Amino acid sequence: MPATAASGSQACVVEIRRVRKRFADLIVLDDCSLTAQEGEILTLLGSSGCGKTTLLRCIAGFLKPDAGEIRIDGRDTVPVPVNRRPVGVVFQSYALFPHLTVANNVAYGLKMRGAPVEEIRERVAKALATVSLSGFEERYPSQLSGGQQQRVAIARVLVLEPRVLLLDEPFNALDAKLRGSMQVELRQLIKRLGITAIFVTHDQEEALAMSDRIAVMRAGRIEQLGTPEDIFDRPQTAYVADFVGASNFWEARAASGQITLPSGQIVATKLDGDVSLLIRPHNLALSSAGGSAWNGRIISRRHVGALMEYEVEAGGTRPLRIAALRDVEAASLSTGEAVSINLRDPTACMAYPRP
Amino acid sequence: MTATALPRRLLDEVLSGRGIWPAVPAVVVLTVVAVIPFCILLSLGFSDITVSRGVIVSQTFSLRHLATALSDPLYQITFQRSLTLALSTTALCVLLGFPVAYLFLIGNAWMRRIILVLTIAPILTSGIVRTYSWIVILGGRGVVNSLLIDLGVISAPLRIINTQWAVIIGMVQVHLPIMILPLIAVMSRHDRRLDEASANLGASRLGTLRHVILPLSIGGLGTGAALVFTLSYTTFVVPQLLGGGNYLNAATMIYEQIVYSLEWSKGAVTALLLMLSCLSVLAVITWLTNLGTRWTRASQR
Repeated sequence: MPATAASGSQACVVEIRRVRKRFADLIVLDDCSLTAQEGEILTLLGSSGCGKTTLLRCIAGFLKPDAGEIRIDGRDTVPVPVNRRPVGVVFQSYALFPHLTVANNVAYGLKMRGAPVEEIRERVAKALATVSLSGFEERYPSQLSGGQQQRVAIARVLVLEPRVLLLDEPFNALDAKLRGSMQVELRQLIKRLGITAIFVTHDQEEALAMSDRIAVMRAGRIEQLGTPEDIFDRPQTAYVADFVGASNFWEARAASGQITLPSGQIVATKLDGDVSLLIRPHNLALSSAGGSAWNGRIISRRHVGALMEYEVEAGGTRPLRIAALRDVEAASLSTGEAVSINLRDPTACMAYPRP
Repeated sequence: MTATALPRRLLDEVLSGRGIWPAVPAVVVLTVVAVIPFCILLSLGFSDITVSRGVIVSQTFSLRHLATALSDPLYQITFQRSLTLALSTTALCVLLGFPVAYLFLIGNAWMRRIILVLTIAPILTSGIVRTYSWIVILGGRGVVNSLLIDLGVISAPLRIINTQWAVIIGMVQVHLPIMILPLIAVMSRHDRRLDEASANLGASRLGTLRHVILPLSIGGLGTGAALVFTLSYTTFVVPQLLGGGNYLNAATMIYEQIVYSLEWSKGAVTALLLMLSCLSVLAVITWLTNLGTRWTRASQR
């Protein structure tokens, strides 16, 4: 029975308003504001030290912000002690209690709330069924695989039906192959339960795959908040463009709303003067020399899954990264070959002012 | 394979660090300083001996000393007293040591450093010196009595020194660091994320202490309890100095039997009984500890 993660009723569950936090002289959170809607998966994405984990720990109550408000369902939670907050945390290391069995790990929160034994048994069984771990009740965490441990950690907080699920890099401890399937599984589970989730990661691919919206953080501030499409296709700053996805920055001059590429193609812009133009590697097409006025030479080539990625010396400050599907003609170009370059879609480029 | 190669291969094997070879030096030392003396002690306890000028001149098998020890009420009283003293010392050390270890866990770097220094510093001083200092503190004209008289709480000095209270105070003070150190070792490995998870799941600080920190400290408590019990059950210095000869425990009894009465066989039997009873209590402590740490032995997948 899928819960309706209604797109119409956009009730705001978590509202973070101008939160600041500093450790000694280091400002970790600098006026962070953010909202998470009912049933939404919101990701805090950033490199290490950007403040994403600190913000998560403030929401959970492990840290107290120096200033600002964190509202859950409209109520300021900053004065609420950590054990009374309607949030469930899935830790990076899972933090399962090693001395308790799977069933007792999941029952822990219910026991702390003084739930009756019968009710605890039923709800634990249901939570374990939700994460497909029925039959593992009597195992200890050390007897489980990484993926199973993660599911116990999720069941342990879901059983308490929290308003908000906080996940701190939950896939870090898993190997690459398992990571992908757990991402899909976890997203489906969260969507099925209709729960609001805030998810922290430094992995942009993971963020793009998991999220309804992404907040890219940088130096304690939110650099851009938007859907994965916004973040990937329309990054508001060069930092976001560089952080999310592979990118080329072509240095050029904009004049009267136009940037002209060496191929003669024109990109429209509102900027004037020196700009950096973001061109994603898949937005460039290679052809044999003579195909356009934008000429270059292949420096190296690299197999990346279904793509062949070339580095092409093409007159810029840095070589261009160009991706081509392996089965098309361009994929058979070899190192050292002279090539021509064309822009596929001039509207898919973003220009940023160059200092 | 030639005959000349054998010594060479043997040497290589010894130096390889494989198999039993690394344990050989320790086994040799222990055999000389522990196993052989223990066998001599055992043989003394089960025989009648004649000693002339400090040398045993005749030795015949006899269960006389063992029979005496098992029937003499003095032994019973003494061993009971030793056991009570050691168990109360262990219990008090657990009660006083655990809060210190908890402070170590929740404290910042400075708190941790202070606790470590305060715990280790007493160990650097001889137990005899520390015990003598209690005479100064608890004596008739000692610090405690002078203070209480000056404050007008009492008119005549309390008799503390040379009572069992003085012995217990001294025992706890001497053995407390031995309790705290294994606990600190456990606490410094404790994952504080578990405490955060516990709080996030709704536990109060006390709930986390009871349901997470305490169960995960049982290994340290067991080690500490076993050490403190063994040391306090077999100690000789503290009861001798602070009990003023009024407080005879098994260890002081052995001392008197061997040094004053020169009854080596009696002393050997007492020592044997002391060791066996100590091992029995250790077995109980170990059993309880294992019961509390079952999860560490859960079979891996």
